[in-house]
Amino acid sequence: MRSLRIGLLLGLRQIQRANLWTTGLIIFVMMLTFLNLIAVSGILVGLIAGAETAVREKSLGDIILSPRDDEDHILETEAVERQLAAFPEITAYSVRYRAGGELEANYMERRDLRGERDVASVNVTGIDINRELAMTNIDKEIVAGEFLDPREEGYIVLGALYTEEYASNFGDIFETVSGVQPGDQVRLTVGDISKEFTVKGILQSKVDEVSLNTYLPEREFRRFFGRIDRNADQIVIRVVRPDENTVVKNALVSLGLEGQAKVQTYEEGKPKFITDIKNTMNLLGTFIGSIGIVVASITIFIIIFINALSRQRQIGILKGIGIDRRAIEIAYVIQAGFYALLGSALGALLTYGFLLGYFERNPIPFPFSDGILVADPTETFIRFIVLFVITLVAGFLPAWLIVRKNTLNSILGRK
Amino acid sequence: MTSLIKAINVERSFGSGELETKVLKGVTLEVQRGEFIAIMGKSGAGKSTLMYQLSVLDEPTAGTIIIDGIDTVALDEVEATTFRLNTLGYVFQDYALVPDLSAEENVMIPLLMRGETWEAARTTARAAIDAVGLRGKYPNLPAQLSGGEQQRVAIARAIAGKPKILFADEPTANLDSISGRAIIELIGDLNRSVGQTVVMVTHEREYAMGCHRIIHMEDGQIVGIEELRTLEPTNIQPH
Repeated sequence: MRSLRIGLLLGLRQIQRANLWTTGLIIFVMMLTFLNLIAVSGILVGLIAGAETAVREKSLGDIILSPRDDEDHILETEAVERQLAAFPEITAYSVRYRAGGELEANYMERRDLRGERDVASVNVTGIDINRELAMTNIDKEIVAGEFLDPREEGYIVLGALYTEEYASNFGDIFETVSGVQPGDQVRLTVGDISKEFTVKGILQSKVDEVSLNTYLPEREFRRFFGRIDRNADQIVIRVVRPDENTVVKNALVSLGLEGQAKVQTYEEGKPKFITDIKNTMNLLGTFIGSIGIVVASITIFIIIFINALSRQRQIGILKGIGIDRRAIEIAYVIQAGFYALLGSALGALLTYGFLLGYFERNPIPFPFSDGILVADPTETFIRFIVLFVITLVAGFLPAWLIVRKNTLNSILGRK
Repeated sequence: MTSLIKAINVERSFGSGELETKVLKGVTLEVQRGEFIAIMGKSGAGKSTLMYQLSVLDEPTAGTIIIDGIDTVALDEVEATTFRLNTLGYVFQDYALVPDLSAEENVMIPLLMRGETWEAARTTARAAIDAVGLRGKYPNLPAQLSGGEQQRVAIARAIAGKPKILFADEPTANLDSISGRAIIELIGDLNRSVGQTVVMVTHEREYAMGCHRIIHMEDGQIVGIEELRTLEPTNIQPH
């Protein structure tokens, strides 16, 4: 206790009397270290979080109904729909029918029948247009032409990644048709049945589920694919309070919906690779941040070491007059702690007071998402504690090295 | 008369084998309670080394040192630190104040280490600073004081805890003659007024003239003891 008291006095006075510029510089370094630790992993995770947000907004919603494991489709879809419509916590839902088909373009201009056809295997989704737009607003993602109109028939909307013009940015990884524009005719084939559609618009989204899809009105879809039972492949639901989607999910389960479909929250139903990538990015960010911590701890070590070394004689005299060595070590640990605390506080202020809002307003555009900054307060706190403890150790070690030297040698400046 | 310090056959050597240098060669010395002694000698005579052994800042290679009945050679580092804190006071030649602390805080530090409360330590420190003639300079940093004033603060720090022995290692070395004389007078006054036992190393004979005895050293040995005045029984400290 006495040592702590003396250590506090010595440490605080050293901070108080230190050169303002030097102190400012050390705190600045600590702030950068903190930012490196929080912001780098925050942005890496934010890329995935941005993608996740987009998937939730543009595709999967807050609750997902899908066919039970032992069924091909959601059973009694119309009955399920009625239940959903009566549920006050549900703001929107969309019923989707899905199948695969072959899309062919430019067949009218084709002269050589032995030549290669311009075809691509595509996913086809049948939607109730009004419900889908209420749910996902995907008409906002139209980059050419228009979205489907519920009053029209014979139209199709193509995901941009099925068109060579848009997909070429990603290299030759998707099956595409070339030169397709709104107003062009395309042919959709399933088995022996083919039908011509007019391209109404092209959708381009950072969500692959949207860009790698073709959309038809559900009536036409069911007619074309022979889905007379009206049983859908997916129902996605938006709730009033997305963070309480588990409560709504449980309510739906208690209504017996699990007899017709598998009911999952977004968190349960989202693709596993999103969680995997997020964890990987987090790990990568932590690794990069750790390098920052090592650099910062070396910086603190050198600063405290030089400080203690330049005061070696004074340390010797303090020991000589009977001051416990722990008090002297505490004084240096307090200094290191002060730098870490203030640097981190400034870093946290910058992160939560400015950077989070800035990246929210100005996301970083990436091909697969709009990257935001993610800084979960609990994780930030844990990283701060790690930084703080490591800094304390980095402050203690040099002090310990100097203080343990023989008292008289320190006083006389002998090695 | 009671011996406060009893050094018997104290040796101190540095290095080993052929490189071994004996700096102290079997010094035997007694210092009485309330006595003011000066250790004098040329550079390399071993006077500072002797003082470091007596003041428990160093450990002799051989011999015994008993201070106030305690065998200080047998103390480990922690015990030695505590012993120095509670029993001894130091004045170094270059004042050795903590530059970040005010005069008052410099004096308070050993008192706080002894467990005094902040207020009690401050009161004692101020009284000690007053006693060395620096009333009102409590908040001054060492850099805001002259060399002589800094040495006074160092003396205040040394005596504030009422040590049994005050060790002064060439306390006037970095001072002009006027300040030097004032410091010696101050130490002499402490000895005369409260019977403070003082062991002082000095080069200047003039400064040693107020002592009871001068110990002359040469080549690591005591070569003569000069008795200047007799230790009065009334001078004995009440410790």
